[in-house]
Amino acid sequence: MSACLGIDIGSRAVKVVVLDGEGHILARRLAPAGYDGPAVAARLVEEACAQAGVVRSEILFSMATGYGRGRCSVADAESSEITCHARGARFLVPDARTVIDVGGQDSKVIRIDDAGRVLDFVMNDRCAAGTGRFLEVMAEALGLAVDELATLHAQAQSPAPVSSTCTVFAESEVISHLAQGVPRADIVAGLHAAIAGRVLALAERVGLEPVLTCTGGVALSGGFVAALSAAARMPVVVSADAQFAGALGAALLALTRLTERR
Amino acid sequence: MARNYPRLESGAELTRLMIDHYTQALAPRTRPVAWITSGAPVELLRAMDVLPVYPENYAAVCAAQGAVPLCEAAEALGYSRDLCSYARISIGASATPQIAPLAGLGRPDLLVACNNICGTVVKWFQALAQQFGVPLFVLDTPFLPDDAIPPHALAYVAGQLEDLVRWVERTTGRRLDRARLDETLSLSNAAVALWREIRHLCRVRPSPLSTPDLFVTMAAIVSLRGTPEAVAFYRLLRDEAAQRVRQGVSAIDGERFRLLWDNIAIWPRIYHFFSQFARRGACFVADTYTGAWDVEIEPGEPIESLARAYLGIFLNRSLAYRATRMARLIRDFACDGFVMHSNRSCKPFSLGQPAVRRRVAAATGTPGLMIEADMCDTRAYAEEPIASRVQAFLESLEERAP
Repeated sequence: MSACLGIDIGSRAVKVVVLDGEGHILARRLAPAGYDGPAVAARLVEEACAQAGVVRSEILFSMATGYGRGRCSVADAESSEITCHARGARFLVPDARTVIDVGGQDSKVIRIDDAGRVLDFVMNDRCAAGTGRFLEVMAEALGLAVDELATLHAQAQSPAPVSSTCTVFAESEVISHLAQGVPRADIVAGLHAAIAGRVLALAERVGLEPVLTCTGGVALSGGFVAALSAAARMPVVVSADAQFAGALGAALLALTRLTERR
Repeated sequence: MARNYPRLESGAELTRLMIDHYTQALAPRTRPVAWITSGAPVELLRAMDVLPVYPENYAAVCAAQGAVPLCEAAEALGYSRDLCSYARISIGASATPQIAPLAGLGRPDLLVACNNICGTVVKWFQALAQQFGVPLFVLDTPFLPDDAIPPHALAYVAGQLEDLVRWVERTTGRRLDRARLDETLSLSNAAVALWREIRHLCRVRPSPLSTPDLFVTMAAIVSLRGTPEAVAFYRLLRDEAAQRVRQGVSAIDGERFRLLWDNIAIWPRIYHFFSQFARRGACFVADTYTGAWDVEIEPGEPIESLARAYLGIFLNRSLAYRATRMARLIRDFACDGFVMHSNRSCKPFSLGQPAVRRRVAAATGTPGLMIEADMCDTRAYAEEPIASRVQAFLESLEERAP
């Protein structure tokens, strides 16, 4: 059996996807990136191959993406996250024309054509505001696990405004809300609204065309997606594999390279 | 890092000229030294035998060698980190010349600031005036919302140019010599015409020069405009570029994509930054910055012609005008896309870029990338996010290519 590998070494998590020669997903693995993403990637590749039932010699092309893409020894080539997320999102949500990816340390908005090619894109500026890391810091300040944010969001009565999207300043706002006895659910809803507003302002730079899909780890947070959908006034389609979009896109590019080579 | 750029033979002559220029600026006085802004009417000063020196050019020279300590020196005095890095470097170098290249820029005898490029220069030069205790002339050029230059704006600026002449005469005791002004104007125009010719040679495919080459060689059109030396240098450069065209020598190896650059250079990373593009066959063939000195002073009454020239520069124009100009450059130079430097320092250049980007992309059908950095302050340059954006942009160009 021939197979392709996509490896996404992100700032917070490493994702690996194995595709067969027809582009079917055989395996997917994910783990925190820690301090040595490439080492985590190497381990995940072994695990994913075992899960897929392929041996390394059957992997005919491997493509890396994400922050650690340049240091991935198991990859044959590397591609940017933008190109990979576009491809992966198109695969997961075939009608998608706008992709909002909110990852660990950056957020990006990509407009794509029907083949998943990048038409235009924009990324957040230098700071980590409105990213996965932002939510992690806020969850910590609230004494919550990241998974709990969605549940609390659903219980919000009146979202507490969080005006600053600077991670450090927003954390002080959260602490001051807590000091004033604001329910945590309302703070969570306020935080999600703040991120959604910021990402949407970014999206408007490239134009928000339906169907809108969301990828990256933060896409799995139901509260954020609800806030985004409300702010954008359109449905947001999210695949259960949203966090794998980058790795999946890399694997699809690997498959294309392989086909071209033949 | 591999340098994909063949070296310019004429570069050595430019280095010699600039060393000579700064030596004169720092030498014991044989004539008054005026520190002026890049959009100031230098021809009048030259015609009165005043030596013009550009703190902006000096700041770029400092930045190429690493100017964060000079920025920090200004910040230690209380200047905001959000202030233009040229201003911070200039103020920092004036306050702590011992850590500045050339041991500082010396001292001016007079200052001339023209706000056609930005509002910051007014306050920056006021700070210098206070620091050195020297007189300052502020030339106020109203912003042009439409393409045409209204007569009242022209009359207003022409009146101030007359005032400037009287002010310099009073301050320095030198008279404006009309014959010398005519000669300076024709030297200025000759350099401008050559500069235009050089830039237009980049329409050839493959382009003989690239934007980083122009960024380096523009020093003379800024600092030496109106002198015979500038004309001689640009003849040399023009001949070299024309020879490259004849011999089919290109600015980068294997030109595949042609791009337009918007905004000031990232001086401390100039070749490093552009190499990311050159390595994948993308050559910058046009830009909106070096063309700011492609301004001819029309024949006729010199004061009015100068007023027209210095009022009408790119940065003193509306976003619509700028978008139209960029779209025309993209067409004329057959560009496949454009890159906008959102320059933390330069507010007039950078504010409104998202709107210009949309308009230019819609008008030309070419994609535009925006990257965030600073012309001098490397603390505002985030290596990995920039590399990611550049790579993604080039990948999207490759996907578009037939």
